[in-house]
Amino acid sequence: MNLLSIIWAEVRKSHRHNFNNHLVYFSLFVWPAILFINAYYAFKPFNLQAGSPLARFVPFDKLGLFLITGYLAYIFFWSLVQSAWQMAYERQQGTLELLLLTPVPRIWLMFGRAAANLIEAVWLFSAFSLLIILFMGGVHVAEWWLVPVAIVLLVLSAVIWGGFLNIIFLFSRDAGVLYTLFEAPMEFFSGVRMPVLAFPIWAKSIAFLFPLTYVLTILRGVVMEGKTFRDLSGSLILLLGVLTVLVIASLFLVRVAERHAKETGNLTLF
Amino acid sequence: MWASFSATFNRQFMTMRRAYPWSFFIGHILDGVYIIIFAYLSYHFIFQGQLNKNFTSYTGTSNYLSYAMIGGMLNSFSVSLLMIVSRMLITEMREGTLEALLLTPSSRQGYFLGAAVQGLMRSCIEMIAIFSIGLFFGLKMVSVNALILIPVLSVFCFAIFSQALVLGSFMLVFRDTYITQNTLFVIMTLVSGVSFPPQFLPGWLHTLSCIMPLSYGLNLFRGVVIEEHWSGSMTQDLFLLFGLGVLYFIAGSIFIKRTEKTVVEKYFG
Repeated sequence: MNLLSIIWAEVRKSHRHNFNNHLVYFSLFVWPAILFINAYYAFKPFNLQAGSPLARFVPFDKLGLFLITGYLAYIFFWSLVQSAWQMAYERQQGTLELLLLTPVPRIWLMFGRAAANLIEAVWLFSAFSLLIILFMGGVHVAEWWLVPVAIVLLVLSAVIWGGFLNIIFLFSRDAGVLYTLFEAPMEFFSGVRMPVLAFPIWAKSIAFLFPLTYVLTILRGVVMEGKTFRDLSGSLILLLGVLTVLVIASLFLVRVAERHAKETGNLTLF
Repeated sequence: MWASFSATFNRQFMTMRRAYPWSFFIGHILDGVYIIIFAYLSYHFIFQGQLNKNFTSYTGTSNYLSYAMIGGMLNSFSVSLLMIVSRMLITEMREGTLEALLLTPSSRQGYFLGAAVQGLMRSCIEMIAIFSIGLFFGLKMVSVNALILIPVLSVFCFAIFSQALVLGSFMLVFRDTYITQNTLFVIMTLVSGVSFPPQFLPGWLHTLSCIMPLSYGLNLFRGVVIEEHWSGSMTQDLFLLFGLGVLYFIAGSIFIKRTEKTVVEKYFG
């Protein structure tokens, strides 16, 4: 069984499960759009005139572009935190054990699930973001071939992050608290709304734990700052390093999770 | 009404002690704490304490940190209370006890009130935890006048309770909690002045804040503890908050009754 057939099976399952109700469009589009608007207005209490301290990191005329690129990348990662959270339902409904009884390699299943959920979860907000970017203007690209590379890196990083979270969620019956631990800090510390460079050391240390931080540096570097491949090579190496660590940790943890489940029988006992 | 109130209170209290999902509890506290930390970092490290002049004129204070932290604290409190009350009936439905509940001649108001009063215990613990953490990050309250604060909080809790009745009936209609509740929460956070004054929003969005009890609750609470004075507009806000609570209560009671009938016909018929 290859990875594509696993992804396709997960796409069909996810579509049947989530798209039987039109309310799903609220989570696909309305929530991210409102979060984006909220982030924009959260700047308003501060000095945004000429000489604003924010201008050291983001020019005011590019604030909209800064936020929309931030939220575009964030939605990719956020949707996979949500999808990992849904693992709890697989356990409650008894389908997690069935999934693990199939001859599918565990690790492929975890990453395949993440990839499948990503396609369904981000297309609508991505289209919206693209329209906003075209409408706002201010895009400054030095090497256009880097744009698809940045998008591939975004997708790849999100899938690896999502697969890792899926495995973490295999360990617990009530992993809702992990959702709280990962969602909001990722939004703030990764620089979705605020420039990471302005943070104190302790906040920067948290930021560098999230792959989204590196992805955003690369994406904004390509789209907003006209950086070249050479300029971005440092961030690229760091991102690949973090992703490698995540993949190795995933390979190890998926075995531990399955062994733990076999010992405790907690795949069906809720 | 008293019998169903005390029975629900006792049951919910036992559930909290024995089987409450602690992820909710920790989650609500963390949501408030995140707003505090983010406000602190934005104010000190990104904007170096420089505020927009309009902020002071709209809010009557230049204490941004306390403004945002109280916003986070009361927002977390409202979300917690709304979730506790509104999810009651749909949880009964999911656990298979709704039909039995609907067959009893118990008072529905007593049932919801029992859940709300018990839920207040949890929400208050969460709010105290967020408040304590806020003190470390620069939350300053000029005065805490219990004689004013208690009536303000009582009216606020009544209004949020009433809003939860309407939300709960929507949950039953859609048979969904996740999307229904979170859609309300993201809109509520945007328009109610949690981290910025709603006057910054375009007029049509600002108007939405008029139907959010959280918006009036924040004006009153901030007025009492940060600005230390009671103005005419605050008296007006208190009456509007009470009026809104009454409207939501009437609407919620009617919706819940109608939804119950639909549920009986649709799912148990």
